[in-house]
Amino acid sequence: MAQTYLQNTREQTAALKALKKRRWGGAALYLFIFPWVFGFIVFTLGPLLFSLIISFFDWPIVGKVTFIGLDNYVEMFTDDPMFWKSLFVTLKFAVLFVPLNIVVALGLAMLLNQKVRGSAIFRTAFYLPSVISGVALAMIWSWVYSGDYGILNYFLSIFGIQGPDWLNDTKWSLVAMVVASLWGQGSMMLIFLAGLKGIPRDLYESASIDGAGKIRQFFSVTIPMITPTILFNLITSIIAAFQQLTLALLLTGGGPLKSTYFYAMYMYENAFKYFKMGYSAANAWFMFLIVLTLTFLVFKSSEAWVFYEGEMKKNPQKKLKARKGGQTP
Amino acid sequence: MKKRISLIVLATTMMVSVLSACGGKDGSTGTASQESGGTNQKTLRFATWDTGDALKIEQDIAKKFESDHPGTKVQVEAYADGFDQKLAAGFGAANPPDVMYMWDFPTYHQSLEPLDSFADKDKDLNIDDFYKGLFNYGKIDGKLYGIPAGFTTRVVYYNKKLFDAAGIPYPKDGWTWSEFQEISQKLTDKSKKQYGFGARAENDTYDLQGFVWSNGSSFISPDGKTIEGYMNSKETAESIQMFGDMVKNGSAVLTGGKGQQSGDDIFKAGKIAMWESGIWPLESFKQAGIDVGTVEIPAFTGKPVKGVLAESALSIAKDSKQKDLAWEFVKYYVSNESIKMRVADLPVRQSVVNELKKDQDPLYKPYYTMLERSDNTPAFLLNPKWNEVNRQLSAAVEAVMHGGNAQEVLNQAVKDSERYLK
Repeated sequence: MAQTYLQNTREQTAALKALKKRRWGGAALYLFIFPWVFGFIVFTLGPLLFSLIISFFDWPIVGKVTFIGLDNYVEMFTDDPMFWKSLFVTLKFAVLFVPLNIVVALGLAMLLNQKVRGSAIFRTAFYLPSVISGVALAMIWSWVYSGDYGILNYFLSIFGIQGPDWLNDTKWSLVAMVVASLWGQGSMMLIFLAGLKGIPRDLYESASIDGAGKIRQFFSVTIPMITPTILFNLITSIIAAFQQLTLALLLTGGGPLKSTYFYAMYMYENAFKYFKMGYSAANAWFMFLIVLTLTFLVFKSSEAWVFYEGEMKKNPQKKLKARKGGQTP
Repeated sequence: MKKRISLIVLATTMMVSVLSACGGKDGSTGTASQESGGTNQKTLRFATWDTGDALKIEQDIAKKFESDHPGTKVQVEAYADGFDQKLAAGFGAANPPDVMYMWDFPTYHQSLEPLDSFADKDKDLNIDDFYKGLFNYGKIDGKLYGIPAGFTTRVVYYNKKLFDAAGIPYPKDGWTWSEFQEISQKLTDKSKKQYGFGARAENDTYDLQGFVWSNGSSFISPDGKTIEGYMNSKETAESIQMFGDMVKNGSAVLTGGKGQQSGDDIFKAGKIAMWESGIWPLESFKQAGIDVGTVEIPAFTGKPVKGVLAESALSIAKDSKQKDLAWEFVKYYVSNESIKMRVADLPVRQSVVNELKKDQDPLYKPYYTMLERSDNTPAFLLNPKWNEVNRQLSAAVEAVMHGGNAQEVLNQAVKDSERYLK
């Protein structure tokens, strides 16, 4: 009894000493993370909350600020055709861009995963566009797409095709934007490449012993093994699609006829062309909610199609069936 | 990740307020250093939207003012394309430039100093020497907020060489739009990529008002309350449709769209025979070696030609702490001496025009005949919500240039704009 008591007090004093020590250590810890925390509060959390507040105000830069409650949100949903129009353009863009983006990035990663000489050079070359700033990228593409002098139409003319004026034709402008946006996807490609490299070789070996061809291997080994990577890239793609502003602003200015007038651009113009800060903040929060919802849905659905290593399928019956299905060609 | 997107967006949205915080600090330290300096060194901030040669001239004027006023430094702030953003940020932060170029008085007048008392007191200004009507643009509710610094009317430029080659006589004042279209057709030669006229892909609706007025209509009722029956009247639609039709039938080429050359550049390259604009590009046309002529805007048959005036004025910020010095600078800026230095504008003073005999020069004369025809009030002065309406109108005009039916798209634009006029 006495011994345990003694032990307890000993432990307590030891703990106290450690605490005293830690107090200093703790201070150092906070000191080290202070720059980040400070930056986060001042430049991220603060503006974030402030933007929520101003979304309830009529907030012109020049003139009087007035509280108007939910009026900005009401106007947005009921009285502003441009809101719906730009949202629709962004959705159209996302539907085209997201799947293409993943297919292209995965395709490039597959090519780079081949063991050929000089793959490092290709890797660098494909990654290069991601290093270039969006503005420079837009300049390059405006030159590529130019109707009379663009290289794209020059190549088409070699095959006797008269190309359209890509950026001034409502039928092609959005497609042109999608293609231009696909170009800077080096980071996504690298993530896929890392995912591909992480697949153990023996899986392919045993698959080929089982008689699976290259295509079969791709769908039964490669794809299931990289589903976590696909999930990550899918989410970042969706976010990137909703964020697209630089190219729209610089390449088309939202035109022709608002065919590339993205939601982000609508928001930007409300803020910096029409100086309706409150309204624009309301736009921004709505976009935040959309992205939040989409991300949530994707995460929710991921339970059904994303497999992590070492994870068993929830329904062994299904797995068995899949195997059987796999064996009958 | 989820957060990041909105953070980026919101951080952008918030930039102005961040700027404003910094701006406030700058202002206070600025005055402090002035006082502690002991000397009477004063800094006057002057904001301009000009770039290139025009900016150079303005800097020269500022230097002259400095040498006339020892102890004063004029800080010329060239905001260029970001003029509105930067100016609005300055006003929002209560740290605006002392003197600034100004045209959009309905938006900014609350932040500007009324200048009536300055102008009344100061005989040196010699108001009667200014062209009449120029002062109307800077007035809101009877108060004067800007002193006219420069202006231009719009004319049709034509390339004499192309007219000579086709054996077509030069257009003369008093010509009509149907003559204009005919000539444009004749001067179009697609094999040479040469067109009669260049139509803008993205028009400033402000500039189109001259045509609409010439056809006896306007974008908005004179009391500024109604657009139904004005913005979508038969006459308004007709005057805009005209350009859309010319693009459609190939006698005009679309210019200045994304990835397209600007009309100024195509005219300089000798690929369009006629081009409509203000005085700004005239100097560069001459330098490019184009044998250029000017003629007033064509008329709709049987109707008087009306012109639109683009005016720039100088204003003083309400928050300026040195208004008297600012006024001195404004006065100097519109003095005969500095007006003569500014060749990219038409002189605002009649005495300068008479002295230089500008209105006798056949190249400059059409600007002055158009000035006599510019007595309508532009839409933005009639309704404070015009910017919002204009958003719809601009989209409609763009649709016409891309082959839309003017009447239909204008009807739609009126429908979409009604909510701003309630």
